[in-house]
Amino acid sequence: MRETPNFTGWRATVLHREDSNTERLTRQLRLIGFQVTVQWQPLDATDLPDFVLVDADQGWDGLLPWTGGNAPLPLVTLLGSEAPGRIAWAMEQGAGSIIAKPLGSSAVYPALVMALGIHHERKAVIEKMKHLEERVRLRPLVHAAVERIIAVRKVDEEFAYTILRNCAMQRRMPMEQVAASILGGAEPLPEAG
Amino acid sequence: MKDTVRIGILYSTTGPYAEIGRDARDGADFAIEEIRALHGSAIEPVVIDPHADITAYLEGARSMLRDHGCRHIVGTITSLARKEVIPLVEKHDGLLWYMCPYEGFEANDNVIYTGGCPNQHLLPLFDYLIPRFGRRPYLVGANYVWGWEMNRLARELIEEAGGEVLGERYLPLEETAVERIVLDIEQRRPSFILNNFIGPSSYAFLAAIRALGARDPAFRPENCPVVSCDLQESELPYIGLGVATGQLCAAAYFDTVATPENAAFKAQVAAKFGSQRRISSVFASAYASVKLCADAIITAGTDDPLAVTRQLSAAPTPTVLGPLLINPDTRHAALPFHLGRINDEGGFDIIASQPAIAADPYLTNRRSRMPSPLRIVS
Repeated sequence: MRETPNFTGWRATVLHREDSNTERLTRQLRLIGFQVTVQWQPLDATDLPDFVLVDADQGWDGLLPWTGGNAPLPLVTLLGSEAPGRIAWAMEQGAGSIIAKPLGSSAVYPALVMALGIHHERKAVIEKMKHLEERVRLRPLVHAAVERIIAVRKVDEEFAYTILRNCAMQRRMPMEQVAASILGGAEPLPEAG
Repeated sequence: MKDTVRIGILYSTTGPYAEIGRDARDGADFAIEEIRALHGSAIEPVVIDPHADITAYLEGARSMLRDHGCRHIVGTITSLARKEVIPLVEKHDGLLWYMCPYEGFEANDNVIYTGGCPNQHLLPLFDYLIPRFGRRPYLVGANYVWGWEMNRLARELIEEAGGEVLGERYLPLEETAVERIVLDIEQRRPSFILNNFIGPSSYAFLAAIRALGARDPAFRPENCPVVSCDLQESELPYIGLGVATGQLCAAAYFDTVATPENAAFKAQVAAKFGSQRRISSVFASAYASVKLCADAIITAGTDDPLAVTRQLSAAPTPTVLGPLLINPDTRHAALPFHLGRINDEGGFDIIASQPAIAADPYLTNRRSRMPSPLRIVS
């Protein structure tokens, strides 16, 4: 069970022309603990809030200072239109959830919690991907180190791999790093068995 | 105001929470009588009993709003019914008066909440329980949002206090087969039990815990109390007098509240229902809500929800629950907290109280909140 999200003291920027929707939204956001700014001009990349809510009906590229869905903060879109192009725009900005217009006050908190959760999940996935990419990039080193162990210790490939893995485990280092150390001569060739 | 204003009264007097619904209806009817005596036909009730059927709640509310011209509905007990009725009330720009304790996380512009959310019942309750009984509770509840969410919050409070939840079990509404849960409780030996069952499940559970306490003193109320947030005076006879003696309940009102306002109110109720009638928090809340609604309409000279809401937030109105002020942002009433201990006579002895607590439905102040000192009265 996740803990109760608490937005007390968070800063939210609403990118939307002021109307009855923003009025209701602002009131609900304040109630939930946010400090709210409403504006209808591009978001300043040097002074980002904690949360952004953007009008996807009239939002344009460049309103948000990021591209490719790499939103650096949780993003909620406000949408009255059902046009696929507008929904696509919302997704391209990296929206974690949508609040339908006209805005019902009960839609706000769930959308915030969901967008926050999705933002955290995406960040975790990106971190994991970076880590895996790095490992894939270094994979040829592991192969080379295994070849070296086969040649020097006269063991088969499977056993050579086991030697390398045990060595990495004992040193609490990734295999790629141990392999690089061995190949670079910084690490003595591990003993067989 | 020339025309008669109609307000809807929407409570179920049959079904799994019938005792609560009947109490609410009695409270509402009692208020209507009083308003009639004072203002003649200025306010007329439109009473519909949905008999705990969710479709009937919707049809009832629709008929009130569309056919009877009501802009105010006092009613619904469960969160399920409230959530169903709200979109209709929004559509007709009406106001729903919800007066039961509930699980929070809501602040709708078309609702006035007079029943209390967790920072007004569960949080002060745990402030009292944890230092006295320990931080290893067992949680039980009805299998719907009230039970789930109250227990989820309880678990969070316990984890924050460095404690451990020893078990969490649910039963469908009206289910009375509590034996397996009680057996589990006997084996796990919690420090206290949070009871979010409602109606017959709750009554069966309290009876089973009584039997367990008779076998094993560790489960007597003074050692391991069963604590509820929604038990009513009117329900105690159904549990059986003496059966739940010593168990605890949190509420914004008990029959035994010792204020001059309550003494006067009790005398009025006794004149109508007899001196044996014990007033529950639901009766008092329904009564206070109907009165508040009618008085605000009469003072404002219109049933326009905006004008009425402005009236409610302008200054506290004296009610049987104490001076009641509706926060214009949260739409919730600030409410006092009382902790009652069930006595042999079918009432609650108040053992701790706290003056009116402002509602914080989204628990935005929880991290910064310090447990406020309870005034212990016995």
